[in-house]
Amino acid sequence: MTRPTLSPGDPIVRRRPRRWGDLIFAALVGVGGIGVLVLILAIVGILVDQSAMSFRAFGWGFIIGTQWDVKNNIYGVVPALSGTLITSAIALLIGFPLAIGSAIFLTTQAPRWMRGPVGTVIEMLAAVPSVVYGFWALYVLGPYMRTSVEPALHRYLGWTGGFNGPATGTDILTAGVILAIMVIPTISAISRETLAAVPNSQKEAALSLGATNWETTRYGIVPYARSGIFGATILGLGRALGETMAVTMTIGNRDAVPTSFFSQGQTISSLIANELTNSNGPLQYSAIIEAGLILLLISLLVNVVARLLLWRVLRVSGGSTE
Amino acid sequence: MSGQGTGQPSNAAPPTETMKRSRSNTPMYVALAIVVVVILVVAAGFYAGWFKGSSSTPPAPGTCAPPSGGSIKGAGSTLVYPLQYQWETVYGGGTAVNYESVGSSAGITDISTKTVEYGASDAPLNHAQVVAAPAPLLTIPESAGGVVPIYNVAGVPTLNFNGSVLVGIYMGSITNWNSTPIQTLNPGVTLPNAGIQVVERSDGSGTTFIWTSYLSQESPAWASSVGKGTTVVWPVGSGQPKNAGVAGYVQKTPDTIGYVDLNYALNGGIQFGKVLNPAGHYVLASVNNTASALKDANPTLPAGNGDWYNVSVLNAPGAGDYPITSLTYVFVYQDLSGAYGSAITLTTAETLVDYLYWMVTTGQSYSAQLYYVPLPASIVTSDETTIAQLTYDGSAVPNTCGSSV
Amino acid sequence: MKFDRSARRKLWSHTMTVLAGLCALVALIPLASVIYQAAVLGGPVLSVDFLTANPPSPCSPVVGQPPCAVGGIGSAIQGTLILVGLATAISVPIGLAAAVFAVEYRGRFLGLAISFTADVLTGVPSIIAGVFIYTYFVIYYPVIVFSALTGALALSVIMIPIVTRTCEEALRTVPHSLREAALALGIPKWRTTLQIVVVTALPAVLTGILLSVMRAAGEAAPLLFTAFGSRLGFQGFNNPINALPLLIYNFAESPYKNWISLAWGAALILIILILIASVLSRLVVNRMVRRMRGG
Repeated sequence: MTRPTLSPGDPIVRRRPRRWGDLIFAALVGVGGIGVLVLILAIVGILVDQSAMSFRAFGWGFIIGTQWDVKNNIYGVVPALSGTLITSAIALLIGFPLAIGSAIFLTTQAPRWMRGPVGTVIEMLAAVPSVVYGFWALYVLGPYMRTSVEPALHRYLGWTGGFNGPATGTDILTAGVILAIMVIPTISAISRETLAAVPNSQKEAALSLGATNWETTRYGIVPYARSGIFGATILGLGRALGETMAVTMTIGNRDAVPTSFFSQGQTISSLIANELTNSNGPLQYSAIIEAGLILLLISLLVNVVARLLLWRVLRVSGGSTE
Repeated sequence: MSGQGTGQPSNAAPPTETMKRSRSNTPMYVALAIVVVVILVVAAGFYAGWFKGSSSTPPAPGTCAPPSGGSIKGAGSTLVYPLQYQWETVYGGGTAVNYESVGSSAGITDISTKTVEYGASDAPLNHAQVVAAPAPLLTIPESAGGVVPIYNVAGVPTLNFNGSVLVGIYMGSITNWNSTPIQTLNPGVTLPNAGIQVVERSDGSGTTFIWTSYLSQESPAWASSVGKGTTVVWPVGSGQPKNAGVAGYVQKTPDTIGYVDLNYALNGGIQFGKVLNPAGHYVLASVNNTASALKDANPTLPAGNGDWYNVSVLNAPGAGDYPITSLTYVFVYQDLSGAYGSAITLTTAETLVDYLYWMVTTGQSYSAQLYYVPLPASIVTSDETTIAQLTYDGSAVPNTCGSSV
Repeated sequence: MKFDRSARRKLWSHTMTVLAGLCALVALIPLASVIYQAAVLGGPVLSVDFLTANPPSPCSPVVGQPPCAVGGIGSAIQGTLILVGLATAISVPIGLAAAVFAVEYRGRFLGLAISFTADVLTGVPSIIAGVFIYTYFVIYYPVIVFSALTGALALSVIMIPIVTRTCEEALRTVPHSLREAALALGIPKWRTTLQIVVVTALPAVLTGILLSVMRAAGEAAPLLFTAFGSRLGFQGFNNPINALPLLIYNFAESPYKNWISLAWGAALILIILILIASVLSRLVVNRMVRRMRGG
């Protein structure tokens, strides 16, 4: 419902006392508001400006260049970009089912007393800093991947060609797993919100038709929340794409296009962490910034898509059905 | 501003008089609680001496008193980090020295962008870096060290390596621990039938420069296909950041081989191999045999502002000399006020000069306990000549220590 | 016994419930393992000295040598407090102002644009925040590229959008009748906003600020190229400064035993601090929700 509004010319507005205070206040908060808009322009602006040298040298070839060759000063983003995309894909592949499963469990299946506390604990996964996950991966996850998971994968899935090479526990796969752990709380929390926002009438209708608990969830609730869950997943993807510390500590930091899940690789963010202040010359510096710009644009795109999806779902339904 | 006039919601409900009273005081309590917690933490911090800076460091055992209250930043080589860390801790006079081990390439980048007062690198400046620097830089050897092959192979004694085996491993042509070339150098040793996992530096590194310089000397094939540099395109292997990263990773991961500075291997308790020297002996690196290598190599040093790129102390001729030895350098701008403009004060310049003097003289006495090689007297003398060339506003920077070797 | 159709459906339903429950369980394993590791390896080093002393020289115990100095993470705790404090001081006024602007002065387009931009900004990778500040300062003021100031600015870039979005949500929950009542009493708009709207929403606003503080306290990526790290305590805003996540990153990968235990201790402290903040914020939210429902 829309409210009738007053226009600035209306007598009531003109009669409002102490207008100067209001004007100054409006100007002050306006500066903050515009500041947020300026911030994003400034970020994009400086990255575009600083990547100009690399863009002049490589043009669009940068995006399809498969070499990151410091010796010959030839740079292409494919090694880092492929690492970013593959690790994020692994993260979603592992993280999505777990996140959605736990979200469904906590909103529709779990006993009521369990929902709040367990939900809180899962969200605490998001509160653990990235660098702590990386540290943990160095000592726990990496060795476990090396001694147990990767040999098993090689034995049973080696024929696919994707699980060959020495099992090191410091590779694309381990980085993907650590990212999966980090996207679970994001996807799970927002999925829970959208699942909870499904009107009770949906559930009651399904139950009254004699559906089982699971059928009610599967056919009555989940389809209703589908676009919200999709939005949550995309948001999780956004987190995985830009994650730095945990990935840098687990991926092996090698500037080459990965040929297997056991390959050492590089993501754009680990590339920046490793090489920005380390560059051998202005061209490499500029190429790193251009890679950062590509990462930024992908993240922004992913976030815009996610937000558009989620805005529709969460803003419209209001979310207070419980 | 467009926001100002676009509208007030105006279907006002009648104002309720009880409204103000009905607002709970909870937010105030919460805010109050947070403020109290912050104050407590800050007070506890004061009590614990957090805000007193670094005044608790013991006075330097040196004879000269450095100017007090200055603060200087350095960055670069991770090879020299433990030594720099020690220096920072003992260098006195209320002077704060901040050295970060960001890698040798970063040290050169940071001094070139003027974000630090001195850069440190195990690789000398190459021609492009000299040209790229915004003002002339002086090169000052600060210490020396050896680079050793470290490995993690269960149940084997100290292994022998030579140049061609190390080249083979890093080229990817030797892939198994029990392959013939390694077995030949180590008769009687039972080597496991396990793949070699090669580890190298992911960041631009002077240690990499020393290592690849050695491999280049040992193998023309390596020199032409990979070459030497702070960053190279490795044929095989995975990267770990910094000396500490490589050392830590090899320590934790079976069947790995990597290269780190001697002190990291010794401090980390990591097994490292003997390397064949030109005199035909397998030598296990130590402070003594890297020091003798430095003496025997007896490099002719250029002037502080000269071309250092080809200075090498690799493969020294002595019978007991460890072959993979190198100097490590710091770089400073010759004309400090010219380079930094008003951003550097005379006090900072004096502190910097004093610290540099202290580093190459008194500081050297801390080398051996951390497994670094103290500079021989000839290099200290040439360093002092170089440091005397530093200027501020056109005149030499006064220093309190002078040449008090 | 034969399953009829309905029994099969019931069995399927139960199976899926168990599977979903397993998902939740599996999702919790990493958290449990992280906390366990940090507690086991970091717990033993905790002491008062650990919280105040500066990091020691690197050392691993060698038989026959004097034992290694233990040291502490005082400079890192102090640095994190200063960095996050300064970043909060920068980002809260800006974020709150933007939120007020978006909610109270919402033009049809500009207000929406601001909240959407803030939403999108929360998705900017944290390392890009570091790159952004680093590149600006390298060009315009290289001497303080590595300083507490740039570190705090980089953290602010991360905090501003979070503060904006959460404060915006908070302000939106304040009923319109409240604003209208105040305005009708002749209270000027700026006082209405500050003293009635913002104060009413204060618990939620504080929660939002707390959330952003938690996030900033754990970030290492934006500090790599800015705060730089330092062994020493605070030396002025134009000098490098240490931080807990930086210390963990620098020490975690090292081979030195005393640094590694220090890093585990620091990780434990960081986890404890952030969990406390997280529980605190949840309590505040719950209390607020109850109050809103009650009123």
